[in-house]
Amino acid sequence: MFVIYCPMIEFSRHTLGNGLRLLVHEDRSSPLVAFNLLYDAGSRDEDETMTGMAHLFEHLMFGGTEAIPDFDTPLQIAGGENNAFTKCDITNYYITVPARNIETAFWLESDRMRGLDLSQRSLDTQKKVVTEEFRQRYLNQPYGDAILRLRALAYKVHPYRWPAIGLDPSHIERASLDTVREFYNLHYAPNNAILTLAGNISTAEAYSLALKWFGDIEASPARIRKLPVEPQQSEPRRLTTESEVPSDAVYRVWHTCGRNEPDFHTLDLITDLLAGGESGRLNRILAREKKMFSDINAYVTSDIDPGLLIVNGKLMKGVDPEEALSGIEDVIRSLSGIRSDDYEFEKVRNRFESSVVFQNTSILNKAMNLSYYELLGDASKINREVEMYRNVSASDVEACLARYLTEKNSATLVYRSAIK
Amino acid sequence: MKNPGKIQPPVFPPEEILFPEVKLVTLSGGVPVYTIESGTEDVVRAEFTFRAGQAREDIPLLASTVNMMLTEGSQRHSSEEISSMLDFHGSFINPYCEKDRAGFVIFFLPKYSGELLKLAREIVFEPAFPEKELRALMNKRLRWFLTNREKVQNLASDKFYESVFGNSHPYGRQTSEPDFEGISSELTRVFHKTHYNLSNLAVILSGRFRKDTIEMLEDLFSSPLTEPDLPPLAPLPEKGKGEKDIYVHKQNAVQTSIRIGSRTINKRHPDYPGLKVLNMILGGYFGSRLMRNIREEKGLTYGISSSLTSLDLSGFKVISTDVSNENRKLATDEIYMEIDKLRNIEVEEAELGIVRNYMSGEMLRMFDGPFALAESFRAAWEFGLDNDYYRRLAEKIKSITPDEIKALANTYYNIEELYEISAGDR
Repeated sequence: MFVIYCPMIEFSRHTLGNGLRLLVHEDRSSPLVAFNLLYDAGSRDEDETMTGMAHLFEHLMFGGTEAIPDFDTPLQIAGGENNAFTKCDITNYYITVPARNIETAFWLESDRMRGLDLSQRSLDTQKKVVTEEFRQRYLNQPYGDAILRLRALAYKVHPYRWPAIGLDPSHIERASLDTVREFYNLHYAPNNAILTLAGNISTAEAYSLALKWFGDIEASPARIRKLPVEPQQSEPRRLTTESEVPSDAVYRVWHTCGRNEPDFHTLDLITDLLAGGESGRLNRILAREKKMFSDINAYVTSDIDPGLLIVNGKLMKGVDPEEALSGIEDVIRSLSGIRSDDYEFEKVRNRFESSVVFQNTSILNKAMNLSYYELLGDASKINREVEMYRNVSASDVEACLARYLTEKNSATLVYRSAIK
Repeated sequence: MKNPGKIQPPVFPPEEILFPEVKLVTLSGGVPVYTIESGTEDVVRAEFTFRAGQAREDIPLLASTVNMMLTEGSQRHSSEEISSMLDFHGSFINPYCEKDRAGFVIFFLPKYSGELLKLAREIVFEPAFPEKELRALMNKRLRWFLTNREKVQNLASDKFYESVFGNSHPYGRQTSEPDFEGISSELTRVFHKTHYNLSNLAVILSGRFRKDTIEMLEDLFSSPLTEPDLPPLAPLPEKGKGEKDIYVHKQNAVQTSIRIGSRTINKRHPDYPGLKVLNMILGGYFGSRLMRNIREEKGLTYGISSSLTSLDLSGFKVISTDVSNENRKLATDEIYMEIDKLRNIEVEEAELGIVRNYMSGEMLRMFDGPFALAESFRAAWEFGLDNDYYRRLAEKIKSITPDEIKALANTYYNIEELYEISAGDR
């Protein structure tokens, strides 16, 4: 039997009086410290008429404050590097900096949590930047808008209906200083944030710096998050679209469970059987043997509220999309009957375990993951992931295939080539 | 309310970089193995690298196809069996084919060193180049090519290389649809035999590899083979294309992708460390002049950057950005204005100080962890350089003066010599 020694990520945890959660993981092998600040706010917290707000706001966070008009320069002077990303559930800011200058990261991040100097000028510029980002990444790429169409097809009421970039650039153009301020006041507070330090720093130092810089920031009133619940889908959905792409493509999605529910690991494992590595079944059977696809992939969205399992592939020339879709269906059905002790089952477990070990070679990955697992309810879950995955049995696979991967729970997008 | 935002913590000068100790072991067949022991996790990175990149191919796609075919079946195992073995052992493989070098990096857990190094040998030296797999790969590659041709970024980059290096040399040669028919099994076998052999191999090993790894490599990579000589490189034409401004029309594109640049010196040149500092000021980081002006002031783009790339026979610098079609002229005018400023006005010490510190921090990141260490080693080694190159770079970052930067801008950023390529729908 294959057993990897998968080292635990040791960490300590404190909660400050204002509700800020602090996690510290010491790794003295690095000359750097990773500083990761996660805000529990993402595109699911947006109004359907103002989508893309959370992400636009992420850009505005770099616009400076009254005390520190320029966020980036002091960090660059400290030899640091930083960036951020916005997803459906979270907005995540991260910094790596030489250990001796870690206090600069505390100074900068606490300052912009305390108050932002939101100016019309900065808002106008970042609206343009984000509009160009929307164009560059979604509108000016072949198949770039598929995820927009797919989410809108799968979700009817839940804000996962749109990706973090938003439904349409016009929403971003409408954002006013007031709406932006409101978003900040509601979400950007210590009680909605999780700070992780990983790398060359002691727990005691991290705690005292967190207290010094974040300790006096006032908590905001508790939010009541009332997101619309996506009703159970009862009929299969389908959309056909045509665009100037060189090949037809097909997308299949199924509603699944939330990230914290027990079936999550089984669904994740199902996508690994389907598409984990070159030897995944979809690639092996449909791309290699049957030569129907030039690329094919499967993944789960890993969202906190019930998410999606997505299979997508680009077709080889002359392949009928209907045949391609039934090919996908056949491969998924073929998973039923797999046994827990099959080589293939063991293969995906091994691959999962070693990918965890590889991820842990980076202090920044460790910092981001600790914050995220804490948001999921308990950072120590990070050390149980391998076990949870390893505990998935063939009968769990069977049950999830029947529970989620059904026709009436699915949506299909056929993306046709207009280039003949 | 007290506001600690006003009391900025002290900033300390960047610490000295601890350059890794790189040990060289030469296997009895002559293969050099460079080892860098490091890291806290039980992982190994092994790179098998050959002078087998695009510069070595006579016809387009040959070098990259040979590289991709390495994992498509050996004399002992089918492609499915190879990928299944790699996946079963939780190993990850990244084959690569660059302009000069090709090979692959394999990541694995030290306890599977025996199995995976054996498989690595099989992948490198015993590929079968089955005709059926080759045709399937070429058909897939054609689909990828057609998709990439729909992206303005690729249209602009391809035209840039063609302009700078000329269409007759592999550095600049363009691929077209009929090329996908032109690769036969026989051609791949010949290229493989002449390029993927022991006399052309170097191994770079990093992470927490086992003590007996060298012995395993000795067993696997020392057998005497009759090795054909590496064919000579095609000489690079002295000059690129005469035409400097080219517009590639892409119907219905909503943005125009821009490339501005030219050939330049590579890492072997003594001016290179200084040119890196200049490039950083111009467009190498978030606070660079191009980012500040074109993104943060004018909101014309999601991103703009300037980069330097070293090649064995040459090198190039290029500024890249995507802007809305109607803003193309505005963006290029601003780019030239920023270059012009660097040529005519000395950089203020305040700005240079930021760049000095940022670059010193970046160097720490380049030497943090077993994977970064191996990549940094390779990036110098392939040009015949070692840690001394990084020491010179670190020294230059500290000591470069504003007038030195201005002089470099005048030497290396002559606007008349720059190619300007745009791909979009004007």
